[in-house]
Amino acid sequence: MPTVQTTSIPGDLPRTFASRKELERLLVEEFPSAEGSLSPIRGGRQAAEAKLSQVNPARYAKSRNHLKGAVTGLSPYIRHGVLTLAEVRDAVFQRIRNRNDGSKLINELGWRDFWQRMWLDLGEGIHDDQEEPKTGHAASSYAKELPADVRDGTTGLACMDGFRDELVSTGWLHNHARMWMAAWLVHWRRVHWKAGADWFLEHLIDGDPASNHLSWQWVASTFSHKPYFFNRDNLVRYGGTRHCDDCSSVHRCPFDGSYEQLEGQLFAPMPAIRSTGNGRNRRDGRPGNSSVNRGRSGASAALARPKR
Amino acid sequence: MKRPILWIHEEALGPANPALRAWPEAPALFVFDTRWIQNSRISRKRLGFLYETALELPLTLRKGDVVAEVLAFARRHQADGVVTSTGVDPRLQQIAEAIETELPLQELDPDPFVELSRPPRLGRFSRYWREAEPVVWESYSPAG
Ligand SMILES: Cc1cc2nc3c(=O)[nH]c(=O)nc-3n(C[C@H](O)[C@H](O)[C@H](O)COP(=O)(O)OP(=O)(O)OC[C@H]3O[C@@H](n4cnc5c(N)ncnc54)[C@H](O)[C@@H]3O)c2cc1C
Repeated sequence: MPTVQTTSIPGDLPRTFASRKELERLLVEEFPSAEGSLSPIRGGRQAAEAKLSQVNPARYAKSRNHLKGAVTGLSPYIRHGVLTLAEVRDAVFQRIRNRNDGSKLINELGWRDFWQRMWLDLGEGIHDDQEEPKTGHAASSYAKELPADVRDGTTGLACMDGFRDELVSTGWLHNHARMWMAAWLVHWRRVHWKAGADWFLEHLIDGDPASNHLSWQWVASTFSHKPYFFNRDNLVRYGGTRHCDDCSSVHRCPFDGSYEQLEGQLFAPMPAIRSTGNGRNRRDGRPGNSSVNRGRSGASAALARPKR
Repeated sequence: MKRPILWIHEEALGPANPALRAWPEAPALFVFDTRWIQNSRISRKRLGFLYETALELPLTLRKGDVVAEVLAFARRHQADGVVTSTGVDPRLQQIAEAIETELPLQELDPDPFVELSRPPRLGRFSRYWREAEPVVWESYSPAG
């Protein structure tokens, strides 16, 4: 790309830095209100292309639900148009041997496109509850503020404090960790999704009200037919035991239990949650996760995906 | 428009930016929106990411009120208008509208992920995907 010559005037921000440290110093000076340090995730097209060259669509399809799975890490670049969804789509097409190898990843790119279209439709309305929660609890009963122990990562739950640390230090979290955190905050801590969503946006480098707020609302059930929640088995299955191994709360883990038990603890009885339904009144699919158990009738979420 | 400047914003910081493609020689500006950064408590992680990204593009970098900065940049280059890429964020749309009350503004659409002949049904992902998925895959041909 040709470089355009423009003479610098006062107020133009510098374009050359000896090091990342120097960039960080400038940011401290120019944006004193912003908190934290730089992320290990680098900006720029070069970094984006390096990540893109690592993408393995077939491995992605098999492992994406696992914290250690072959996810792409492309979200910060896609969010800011460093790479367009069209470019990523074409790179996937070039790399696969057949449609089956690429369909999962293309599907997830579709989720981003879908949320963006929803945002165009909703505009500022994206900040509001889209529907009443289906948890049996009134929307007004959820706390408006993020609890301090959550913000500080001192809840004593090794998994959630660990995800918080990763969020705050890197600005990126695996999709499953985002879902678990959101579900824990909204359903266990009874915090309104908006408080959690705004906190995520402070830190996420890929932070985007479309994907973020609507995913939070999907978890909260203000944009889905029932709340998303999980249990310890699910967390261990996709996240391993590394958190539980040195968790001070391991013997009073709030996620211990069957889905039926947890459902009874977390939600007040409500027909929309209890019913196994006939599939008509059920949310079809989820923010990009195919192995999520949504409680009693939850296993059917995967079945409720579009059939072809 | 004969002598536009380009306003490059947070949604299109790559070489596929349609304004950069259409006007590779025009002076281009990125503005750190200080009101947004303060109100949304945007962390230094994101600012660093945006900065590093912007450094790989031929942009002048400023901070402050985006509308005022874009208009001042247009005056600085004696521009007869502003070209940008269409934004999704309502904040960017409002900025575009405010610029347009002062100067001609052209918004170019970024390459779409999928081009549908009529607006898809939204509301739930599966409805949208039923319409979109086959069209996305139209441009795929197995290498053999
Ligand atoms: C509570 C919550 C908040 C979220 N907030 C954001 C956010 O602010 N910004 C954001 O980009 N994503 C958000 N997501 C979606 C998803 O978690 C991230 O896009 C994904 O984890 C990014 O990692 P990746 O690039 O490795 O994704 P991959 O799994 O490798 O996917 C490739 C690309 O597809 C898109 N994508 C994948 N899954 C989703 C999804 N479920 N929804 C939308 N797009 C998807 C992303 O652009 C991603 O980069 C959120 C999800 C949840 C549950």
